[in-house]
Amino acid sequence: MSFLRQLLLVWVLCGVAALTGGVASAAEPPTDKNAPKGLVLKGDAKCTSCHDESDDAGPTMLGLHKSVLAIGKTKHGTTADGRTPSCTDCHGESEKHRTYRGSDDPPKPDKTFGKKSDTPIVARNETCLACHQGGNRIGWQNSMHATQDVACTSCHDVHAKDDKVRDKLTQANTCFACHKEQRAQINKPSHHPVIEGKMTCSSCHNVHGDNPKQLVKASTNETCYSCHMEKRGPFVHNHQPVSEDCAICHQPHGTTTPSLLKARVPFLCQDCHSHDSHPGQAATLPTGNTSSSSLLGTVGRGCLNCHNNIHGGNSTVNNATAGRFRR
Amino acid sequence: MNTTQHVFRRTAVSAALLTIFGSAAADDAKIEELTKPESSISVGVGNWSGDRPQQGIYDGMRNNGTYGLFDADVNKRDDATGTWLTFKALNLGLETREFRGDYLRQGGLGGFFEYGKTLRENPYTINTGLQGIGTTNLTTGTNVSSFQKTNVDIGTTREMIRAGGFVNIMPGLDAKLDFKTEDKTGTRQAGWGSAPLFSVEPIDSTTRQLDAILQYTGERLQLSGGYSGSWYDNNNSQILQQLSGVTTGGTASFSPVTPMSLPLSNAAQQIFLDGGYGFTAGTRGNFKLAYTQATQDENLPSHSLGGVNAPYVNAPSHLDGKVDTTLAQMGLSSRFTSNLSMVANLRYYDVKDKTPVAGYVGGASGATVYNTPHSYSKTSGKLEGTYRLPANFNVTGGVDYEGYDRSYPTVGNVYVPFRATTNETTYRAELRRSMSETVNGAFAYFHSNRDGSEYVDASGTFHANQINPMHIADRVRDKFRVKFNWDPLEKLSLQARVDYSQDTYDDNGRAYGLKEGNSQVYALDAGWTFSDDWQFTAWYSHDVTDARHVSVRADRDNPNPEAIKTANLKDTGDSVGMGLRGKLTSKLEGGLGLDWFGSASHYPQDIDLLGTSGAYPSGAGGALPDVKSTLMRINLNAKYALDKRSDLRFDVIYERWHTNDSTWNFSDGSPFAYYSGTQSCGNNTPCNNGYTGVVDGTTVTAKETQISTFVGVRYIYKF
Repeated sequence: MSFLRQLLLVWVLCGVAALTGGVASAAEPPTDKNAPKGLVLKGDAKCTSCHDESDDAGPTMLGLHKSVLAIGKTKHGTTADGRTPSCTDCHGESEKHRTYRGSDDPPKPDKTFGKKSDTPIVARNETCLACHQGGNRIGWQNSMHATQDVACTSCHDVHAKDDKVRDKLTQANTCFACHKEQRAQINKPSHHPVIEGKMTCSSCHNVHGDNPKQLVKASTNETCYSCHMEKRGPFVHNHQPVSEDCAICHQPHGTTTPSLLKARVPFLCQDCHSHDSHPGQAATLPTGNTSSSSLLGTVGRGCLNCHNNIHGGNSTVNNATAGRFRR
Repeated sequence: MNTTQHVFRRTAVSAALLTIFGSAAADDAKIEELTKPESSISVGVGNWSGDRPQQGIYDGMRNNGTYGLFDADVNKRDDATGTWLTFKALNLGLETREFRGDYLRQGGLGGFFEYGKTLRENPYTINTGLQGIGTTNLTTGTNVSSFQKTNVDIGTTREMIRAGGFVNIMPGLDAKLDFKTEDKTGTRQAGWGSAPLFSVEPIDSTTRQLDAILQYTGERLQLSGGYSGSWYDNNNSQILQQLSGVTTGGTASFSPVTPMSLPLSNAAQQIFLDGGYGFTAGTRGNFKLAYTQATQDENLPSHSLGGVNAPYVNAPSHLDGKVDTTLAQMGLSSRFTSNLSMVANLRYYDVKDKTPVAGYVGGASGATVYNTPHSYSKTSGKLEGTYRLPANFNVTGGVDYEGYDRSYPTVGNVYVPFRATTNETTYRAELRRSMSETVNGAFAYFHSNRDGSEYVDASGTFHANQINPMHIADRVRDKFRVKFNWDPLEKLSLQARVDYSQDTYDDNGRAYGLKEGNSQVYALDAGWTFSDDWQFTAWYSHDVTDARHVSVRADRDNPNPEAIKTANLKDTGDSVGMGLRGKLTSKLEGGLGLDWFGSASHYPQDIDLLGTSGAYPSGAGGALPDVKSTLMRINLNAKYALDKRSDLRFDVIYERWHTNDSTWNFSDGSPFAYYSGTQSCGNNTPCNNGYTGVVDGTTVTAKETQISTFVGVRYIYKF
């Protein structure tokens, strides 16, 4: 790690130097003196002649009045990138909207994207996909979100400097607007560190993809192994449901039981294990010191007090306990 | 855009003037303020008044005390070249610090570097005399006073470094590289294995992941393919935990020096290709292909042990583990008409465990315990159609299929009966109104049916084959979902949602296992913006999960049960969130929030006695008490603008956590203590040199009520 630390330090110093001086020499963008001058995007004058700085309240605390010009702060406002769209690329030429001279509200632009838009969602999404169909959005049309008529702009705020769904600290709130069950689960005592801001929904889910449960990887286990690679094995003694699907025992969004278990042990274990003797014990707490396996299936780590390697073991100790995840 | 409001409507004259003079008359400073990327840094200090073992598991502020608060969000763009330099940092004053820097020449070249630290601290107070914590050699005292007991911190730290970038090779073609390495260190609570004694697993491992991707994005065709590799390296492969002063005797089932195997280093390599093609404006196909090979072939560390821990004479010293995974998927989506669209998907996912089978436990007559490679394939598909009805209604119908085909052991013991194949078909229908000015909603119904092949019996006795394991049992699942959004006023929005699911398990002549499951979630959300400067939001959620389990208690090898137990488990949760945000003056804005979460777990059991013994064995405390937990968090924040470039932010958070969790208690509420009892080390000789039992005396306790208040202040500079 020491080498990595040094690398890190060098990188940070370079970054700071670049930030403080590197971009100070930015040249003025080229201009075409004959063309009507826009405010933000190429050819935006037809829109910004009305939607100019005096029409724009700017970003506000409550975000009630979306700032049109704030798109200039975003990647979409980087005009040096030849692919950057202009207003009409997304909203259409909107002739009726632009040429309206009445005193009341003008007709809507050809395409709108807000909550009260009457543009079909497929048409709204096609606007975005015209540029953003590649990468992890290749399977968008077959995704659960697409078939549920989720619009890109249901989650993304294209004009905002800070698109909340792309910020780790605020993303989950966007998802919780629809996923109420997960909002309740993530606040249970045992949960992944989403509310603490250390990971977020998109750490596990590719919400633009068509994998099962819209996961980032091809299966639940492959997704879990990204961070819990020690569970991948293969082990000498595999635990079959562990190898097949972590979600058989775990509810990853949150539970009242430690370790995100779906039910408290021994109940969870007894859903598969019905052997005679101690595996059939009633759930109870012991009255005092005990080494009886018939009294230890509930207290503390429960069955795992002894069956410690429940995800799989690699023991060669010449005893059946090795195969029962106790070594 | 979304909710743009026209602040004023120009007169024809002013519009004409502005058209003529364009932005020449504009306020350049304001335009720049509105359109140029912003940056900010914040520096501050905060203090928690009390320890927060439960709420501080992940956030790096578990203990009371003062913490530095330092965040940064720096965004610089060279408009001439479209080059961005960004630097974002979070929690630099905490142990959970993280930052990321990006260089991006939009559309051409980009690179990033990221660092992050994640803590996971054990929320319990652990008082133990265990020696050697953090190492692979642990020693447990043979009585409660063998070693002085102290409180020990158990927890893990993940320290991650990630770097990557992309380069545009030609229009539409990008090459991407992403490398991540993460060191995980610390300790994890564990068990001894030979007996119920406390143990601690040392964590010292590194995971690395590399993705190299070539990505093509054309108007009709998109492709993404490449290589993905991941490596897990564990510096610890085995724990050796011994009883203090006991060096001889023992058996393999209770050894005074017990080896506990740890996860071994492993790796996986994958090649993949994803693609999509737009046949027409409304018809599109896509596919995924992937092949992965995972391997684990480390030395099995216990293989070199001797004495009672010696391996079976024919046990291999390496597993030679190899698992090949193949994915093939294709999908088609089409809008046949403006009103009818369909989606179809077919997927094959095959996990083939090619690890050779060998005996790892055995005796003179041969092996008795073998390694257990597990292979399975999953075939799934869906067909779904949506028809758009008049009045903005949509109706969707769909069929989903999911089939598993599993391998099963042909040698050795099988502990649980299982099925080689299971098939589940889901029919679903949904009616939704997706476009409306003020009202929209949806009702969806799902019906699933799962069945499978004949059971392969476990090799255990009678009762082992009376179970219907929950993940392969015949199951009927009915779900419905109701969503309703209503904006009764321009500034008032309401949202309601109900999710209901009922599972019924067919016992297939097998009496035990999960019989029924039910889950319900009710949620209400409201948002009221009562002026341009004030907004109130509130939500409430109630969830219930029920499960009925039936299990048996029986004496060994006796087909007549001693008792049939029915547990009606129930979890309930209530969540409330309220927030008020507003602007008090032109310089002062703030918010007040309340979050309250309550959960309760109930474990009622009906025990039907069929034999001579009682409901519980001697030494049992009877029925399991409920566990209830609540968390209340009140936060107050205010931001005062010192000037155009700088703000002061104040935060006050009051947090109260309470639980009556008795998981780590004896039935009388006193702390559970680890205890081995008197174990035989062969020839009826006690392993512990005459002690009546190894009481290592370790206790694990949860602080029932945790109250803490945070006060913080930050200076924010914007540039």
